[in-house]
Amino acid sequence: MTQTTPKAQSSAEQAEPGLRLLGIRKAFGSVVALRPTSFDVPAGTMCALLGPSGCGKTTTLRIVAGFELPDAGQVLIRGEDRTYDPPQRRKLGMVFQNYSLFPHMTVAQNVAFGLRMAGMARAETEARTRRMLDIVHLPQHADRYPHQLSGGQQQRVALARSLVTEPSMLLLDEPLGALDKNLREQMQFEIRQLQREIGITTLLVTHDQEEALTMSDMIVVMNRGEIMQAGSPTEVYERPRTRFVSEFLGTSNILACAVLGADGGSLRLRLPGDDQGSGFTVAAAASRPVGSTALVAIRPEHLQVKSVSEAQPEAPRATVSGHVFRGATHVFQLQRPGLDKPLLAYRQVTGPVGETALSPGAEVALTWLPGTARLLEDEIAPEVGA
Amino acid sequence: MSAAGQWRRIERRLPALLLLAFVLVFFAFLLAPIAFVVLVSFADSEIVAFPVTAYSLRWYHRLLEYRPLLDSLWFSLKLAGASAVLAALFGVPAALALARSRSGLADLVSTFLLAPLSIPMILLGIALLYKLSAIGLGISFTSLLIAHTVVSIPYVVRTVVAVYRGIGRNYEEAAAILGASRRQIFTYVTLPLIGSGIFSGMLFAVLISLDNLSLSLFFGSAQTNTLPVVMLSYLQNQFDPAIAAIGTVQMAIALVALLLIERTVGLRFMSSPS
Amino acid sequence: MTAAAGTTSGRRSPLGAGLWPVLPAVIFLLLFFLLPLAENGLQSLYVTGSDGKAAFSLAYYVHLFSDAYYLGVIGKTIWVSLLATVICILIGYPVAYFMVRHAGRWNGAMIFLLVAPLLTSIIMRTFGWNVILARNGVLNNVLQGLGLIERPLRLLQDPSAVIIGLVHVLVPFMVISIAAVLKGIDTRLEEAAELLGASRWRTFREITLPLSLDGIATGAIVVFMLANGSFLTMLLLGGGSVVTLPLLIYQQFLLVQNLGFAAAMGNVLLVLAVISLFIQLRLIRQDGAVA
Repeated sequence: MTQTTPKAQSSAEQAEPGLRLLGIRKAFGSVVALRPTSFDVPAGTMCALLGPSGCGKTTTLRIVAGFELPDAGQVLIRGEDRTYDPPQRRKLGMVFQNYSLFPHMTVAQNVAFGLRMAGMARAETEARTRRMLDIVHLPQHADRYPHQLSGGQQQRVALARSLVTEPSMLLLDEPLGALDKNLREQMQFEIRQLQREIGITTLLVTHDQEEALTMSDMIVVMNRGEIMQAGSPTEVYERPRTRFVSEFLGTSNILACAVLGADGGSLRLRLPGDDQGSGFTVAAAASRPVGSTALVAIRPEHLQVKSVSEAQPEAPRATVSGHVFRGATHVFQLQRPGLDKPLLAYRQVTGPVGETALSPGAEVALTWLPGTARLLEDEIAPEVGA
Repeated sequence: MSAAGQWRRIERRLPALLLLAFVLVFFAFLLAPIAFVVLVSFADSEIVAFPVTAYSLRWYHRLLEYRPLLDSLWFSLKLAGASAVLAALFGVPAALALARSRSGLADLVSTFLLAPLSIPMILLGIALLYKLSAIGLGISFTSLLIAHTVVSIPYVVRTVVAVYRGIGRNYEEAAAILGASRRQIFTYVTLPLIGSGIFSGMLFAVLISLDNLSLSLFFGSAQTNTLPVVMLSYLQNQFDPAIAAIGTVQMAIALVALLLIERTVGLRFMSSPS
Repeated sequence: MTAAAGTTSGRRSPLGAGLWPVLPAVIFLLLFFLLPLAENGLQSLYVTGSDGKAAFSLAYYVHLFSDAYYLGVIGKTIWVSLLATVICILIGYPVAYFMVRHAGRWNGAMIFLLVAPLLTSIIMRTFGWNVILARNGVLNNVLQGLGLIERPLRLLQDPSAVIIGLVHVLVPFMVISIAAVLKGIDTRLEEAAELLGASRWRTFREITLPLSLDGIATGAIVVFMLANGSFLTMLLLGGGSVVTLPLLIYQQFLLVQNLGFAAAMGNVLLVLAVISLFIQLRLIRQDGAVA
């Protein structure tokens, strides 16, 4: 169980968080969907719940929405305990995965629904509806029916419907899944802009790490019902704490290294397959016993491949075992004794392709900038290899 | 294309063509009796004879004169309408509650509510006649109403459950998030969306009631004869084309109803006859 | 209404009202469906002796199961139903196959044509068969005209008419059942089999047929149950040549007014129906679909 608050966002630090979950737990029969989970979402920010299917992100969202009751814990929205309130009373806005626009109502009637339920006067309702449709760029479509609109347009109507009631929080349940790539990117941008302009606290559920990275101020990475790590996109991407996080966001090379010694704030490690050599250092918060195994993650874009002559003599060696040309980058596969999976390294194409490519079979040296090799917190039993 | 090639093409399609022939014969078999009845209803002869040599509408005119037939038609329509309404009042709330439930109890209730479909109606007829006589209702419109409602409830429940399940929870959840109370959700979202299901279920109930013979036989009397019962005695006593005429009329009503159901809800869900 | 109060169980969905709304329907059926049937069943266990008092006795059942005539009737009921079921399978499967695989946009029309006869009065359909099968009916006229027979066939008032009538009424149920399952079979499975060398017939026998067994089973149960309970067809087309349990009950009821005995026979019929119902439920449960 982790309780985390991301880095302070200037004056928002002292204010009430938009959403606070304390010890939320949920099981369906014998299946545990959510281990005790807590986190805060600062007011006015967008937080993404990211993870593979079954990780508990949707359950969390539904508990926040009020469609499920947690087995334990509290849900505080803008400081008020809403744990057992029905969805009607929570003043939320939600965009569903397939939009769930009422098929028997026009666009305008859909958008106006929440206002009607609240008993707002007709004139005011119409005015607000019209304004909202303008904001989402659909002023001409008020009298159309949902099935007459494209996917992207339906999405915008769903957004409009959820925001027109001026809710205290917006929930997005994988809203962009049904759209094609270009439209998705455009909507990501638009939703983000809208969210920023209005300044509404938003919770986004997605399995798409790119989406999470693009759209949010804070990412909560979940797996099997628990939070693996929570933080800003940069933090979660550049400083992953566990193997799962480093592999779920982007790609990572995972190396099981032997611990040679600790040195006040850093560890000295040796790569698998090396029997001698002084190894390399990584920053470490806590020390590890000598001889134990520690997992280190290096991203392919940080793994630099140099010819043997250019590199330091102690630099670890590898053989190029594969190569893929991806237009802007080369992807090299590198083999070393002691690895069961080849390493991946990206190299930017900076000149004519022939110049920056490496031929298979070539022996190369590996280096990386200090700080780009991260020590992971996973515990490893001594027998398990890389 | 060579001769061998052409033969190959035919050979490939042979199974499908044979199947098509079979299917055509099948539908001829299925529709033949009905077709002939319609044909005979327009016959201009005193008795039922085939082939039909002359055509006229005389038997349709005869229908209008034959009071018992008309009276029983009216009676049957009243009964059908009333039992459909009752079945809906009982069945719709039950269907809504059952459609979203997954517990063992819900399964049990569901099976129970659909059970009348599986029990031979003759048994129900006898049993109900005695039960209702015992409590003083005997042979009356009320008894018929009760009996027809019992067999109509499963149709309404089955139809509404299928339609409601097909809609999915999301619309109601969306309405809830937008602030609608339970009553508002039901009125503005659920009801409009399942309306077609309720309509079709009731229509099925009407059709079942109109055609019901096995049950109605037990509750027949001079005042409480339904159309099928009257038709049966007519068939057994006077074998003439008037039967064909009334049958054709009834079929026309049923076809119109079926078309309505097809337009509103579609007939797909009939594929699970359970 | 507010949601569940804040106690332990997170089970209650904030949107539902639980199972309470089923109560009116359940009570109605308990009173006018279960109770009458149960009471009727009980009736069969009480024999009115010569003293006018009713005493618990299995006499009716003993009579029923020891008399060869009645055993024959029960046997005939099952036999007729089985025969009708088998014929429906043989006729219905090809039609269902065609409907799913070859009909394309005619599929909807086919379903309509299948269901429409179900809603026409059984009187009408019986009348129609009368017209067709009578001594001077359509069929005999055509056959004689074609020179295939010399004297008219006696089809009415005969078991064959009953079977024809039954199959005519019940085969749509079989077709719909099988079609529903066939629709779910991925054609790519068949294509894979053909690529691997199986002839069309082999593919059908080893891939399609086994996968569609569910539909056949479901259809068979439904047809069997419906055939079991039918007596109008026997009455109107059989003319006494086919006496099944429901028909016997009907006659007993009308003529003899021996309620206890009729109830005993009814119970046997009911047991047949309930057994079929259970088998049907087991099949549905396996699919995962609930009614």
